[in-house]
Amino acid sequence: MTGPLSARLREKRIGVCVGSGGVGKTTLAAALALGRALEGGKVLVCTIDPARRLANALGLATLGNVETRVPEAALRAAGLEAKGELFAMMLDVKRTWDDLVARHAPDTDRRERIYRNRLYQQLSSALAGSQEYMAMEKLYELATERDYDLIVLDTPPTAHALDFLDAPDRVLDFLGNETARTLLAPAMSAGKIGLRLFHLGGTYIAKTIARFTGAEVLSDLAEFMGSFQGMYEGFKARAGVVRALFAQPEVGFVLVSSASPRSVDEALFFHERLRKEGMPVAGVVANRVTSELWGEGPLPGAPALVAALAASGAGGEALAERLARTLAEHEVLARADAREVARLFSAVPGAQVAVPRLDTDVHDLASLARLAAVL
Amino acid sequence: MPGPALLDRRLLVVTGKGGVGKSSISAALALLAARRGQRVLVCEVNAQERVAPMLGALPSGAEIREVRPRLFTVNVQPREAMREYGIMTLRFRSLYDAVFENRVTRYFLRAIPSLSELVMLGKILHEVQVEERGRRRWDLVVLDAPATGHAMQLLRVPAALLDTVPPGPLRRDAQWMQELLVDPERTSVSIVTLPEEMPVNEAIELDQAVRGQLRMSRGALIVNALPERRFSPTEAEQFSGLTAEPAPLGPAAAAGRMQALRAEQAARHLARARAAIDLPALTVPLLARDAWDTGAVEAIAAALEPQL
Repeated sequence: MTGPLSARLREKRIGVCVGSGGVGKTTLAAALALGRALEGGKVLVCTIDPARRLANALGLATLGNVETRVPEAALRAAGLEAKGELFAMMLDVKRTWDDLVARHAPDTDRRERIYRNRLYQQLSSALAGSQEYMAMEKLYELATERDYDLIVLDTPPTAHALDFLDAPDRVLDFLGNETARTLLAPAMSAGKIGLRLFHLGGTYIAKTIARFTGAEVLSDLAEFMGSFQGMYEGFKARAGVVRALFAQPEVGFVLVSSASPRSVDEALFFHERLRKEGMPVAGVVANRVTSELWGEGPLPGAPALVAALAASGAGGEALAERLARTLAEHEVLARADAREVARLFSAVPGAQVAVPRLDTDVHDLASLARLAAVL
Repeated sequence: MPGPALLDRRLLVVTGKGGVGKSSISAALALLAARRGQRVLVCEVNAQERVAPMLGALPSGAEIREVRPRLFTVNVQPREAMREYGIMTLRFRSLYDAVFENRVTRYFLRAIPSLSELVMLGKILHEVQVEERGRRRWDLVVLDAPATGHAMQLLRVPAALLDTVPPGPLRRDAQWMQELLVDPERTSVSIVTLPEEMPVNEAIELDQAVRGQLRMSRGALIVNALPERRFSPTEAEQFSGLTAEPAPLGPAAAAGRMQALRAEQAARHLARARAAIDLPALTVPLLARDAWDTGAVEAIAAALEPQL
C-alpha cells in the first residue's frame, strides 16, 4: 500500500530526490525504492551518502560502487513480502571519473597519464560540481545499460541545490576553457614535464600567475589540459546526452524539504529552476512536520486541565500547568510548520506529501516500509 | 580540555551537520564575547548570509561591518578573497586587475584544486593575525564554518598543500596557516549537533576527523534544541491512555506524550554523544519560537552564558 507520490513514480523510470542537506533525502529515496519493490518491479536506489546508515537500514553490511541486492531473507525478517527486487548502491565519484576517462581516452597510455596527474587525482573531490556531474553520469549509465523498472537517485548534499543542474556545465567549462588553453598553450605543447618553467614564461600573464601560485602548479595544470586534448568533444557530447535525459518525461524530480523556512526557500528555488528548464517534477515531500493538535480558538490554560486530569485519576495543578505549557509550545512549532508547508505546497504542483515527525527514527526495513506507505 | 577557555582563544571554528543551527550558535557566542568587551569578527562562508540578518542587521557582504557594538560580520566569498589575496601577493592592484579581473580569475579559482578554499581560509586567518597600531585587530574571530564535509575540505587545505605543493608562495602561505590552525593556544573547533540520531553520528565522525586528520584542538560539543525532561516516566505513561479524551485533555495529553517521547530520545542521543566525544557538552534548550530572529539568538546566548 503506497501513497500519491509512489503512484506518480509508477509512471516513471527514474526518480531524483533533491533538496538541501539534512532534510532526509537519503531515507526518502530508500523508502520510495522499497515501496515500489514491494509492489513488484526491479528497483535500484543509488545514494551518495557516505554514512553506512542506509546500508544498515537495508540490512546490508556495506554499500559499494556496484549494485547489491537486498536479500529476501532480510525483507522477510522485517515482515515484508516483496513482489519485486530491491537493489542498492553507493556512488563512488573517483571510480566514476576513472570510468569516464577510460571511455573517452584514445589509448591506455593517455588514460594512465591522466590517472597519474596530481591535479586529476584531486579533481573528484576538489572541483565544484564534480560529485553532482558524476551522479548524473552514473545515473545515465544505469538507465541505459540496465533493465531496472525504477531507479531512485539520492543527490549530494550540495551547499546550494542549484549546483546539481549546473554541475556538468561547470565541469565542462573547466575542461574546455579557451582562456586557459591560450594561456597554457606553450606548456601544453611542450609535452615534456622537464620544460615547465621555460615554456610557461611565454606570456607575462602566465608569469604573473606563476608568481601567485608557484610555477609547478601551473605546469600540472598544463599537463592535465594537454592530456585532455582531443577528449573534450567526446566529454561534451556525452554530457549533453546525459543532461537531456533529465528533461525526459520518464524522469520525475522529487523535491524534499523540512518545514524550516530555509529548507523551504531552497526547495522553492529549485522548483522554479526545474520549471524554467522544463524538467518534470513528480511531487514534493515536506518531511518531519510537527502536526497541529489544537484547532482554532484560544489554547486551554492550566485551570481548564485540572478538572479533566482529576476526573481521569491523574493530576495536580503542577502537572496541569506543565501540560498547558507543553501544548502551547507544541502549537507554536506546529503552526510555524503548517505555515511553511502551505507555502511549499501552494507553489509546487504534483503529488504533495507531508510526513509527520515520527515517534522513532527510520533505521530499518520495517520503518522504511511504514514511511513508504505514507509516500 | 587543554588550552584556554572557548572565548579566550583567537579563532573559534563552529561546524556540524547541515541544519543543526551553526549560524545561530555562532551568532550567540559572538554576542557573548562582544558583551564581555571583546572585539569580535564573525566570518561566514555561506552562499546566503545568515549571521548579520539574525542579529537584526543588513547583510554585510564582502565588507566587514559592525552589526552590534564591537561585533562585526563578513561573508567571505571566493572571488573577493582571491582579489584581496592576489593584491597582497602581487603588491600592485593594477597588476592584479590586469591579470585577474576577468574570466581567468573564475577559471583559476576552480582549476587549481583547493585554491578557492585556500584564499577564503587565508582571508579569515589573516584577520586572526593582523595588527593595527601595535594592537591586534580582533580579540576573537568566529568562523561559522560550512557543514561537515565542506568544513573538512576547507580546514584540510593547508595540510594538503604542504603535502603536495613544491616550495613557493603557495607553500609559504599554507605553512603559516597550518601553524595557526593546529595551535591549541590560539585555535579550537567546536561541533554543533542536535540530539538526534544522524546529527550525533555525524558529530562523532567529525570529532574523530578533527582529532585524527586535522589534528586541531577541540573546544566544545554544543547540543542544540534539547527538549527538557518535563515529565516523569509515570506521567508520560498516563498520557498515552488519555490522548483519545475530548479537548482540552486529549490534545494536551498528546502534546505531553510527544514531548516526553522526544525528551527521552534526545536524552539517549545526548548520552551517546557524551560517551563518544570527550569534550564538555554545552546544551541549548529547544526553543518554542516561530522564527530565527534576534530574539532566538538572545535566548541561545542566555542559555550558553552560564555554561561558558
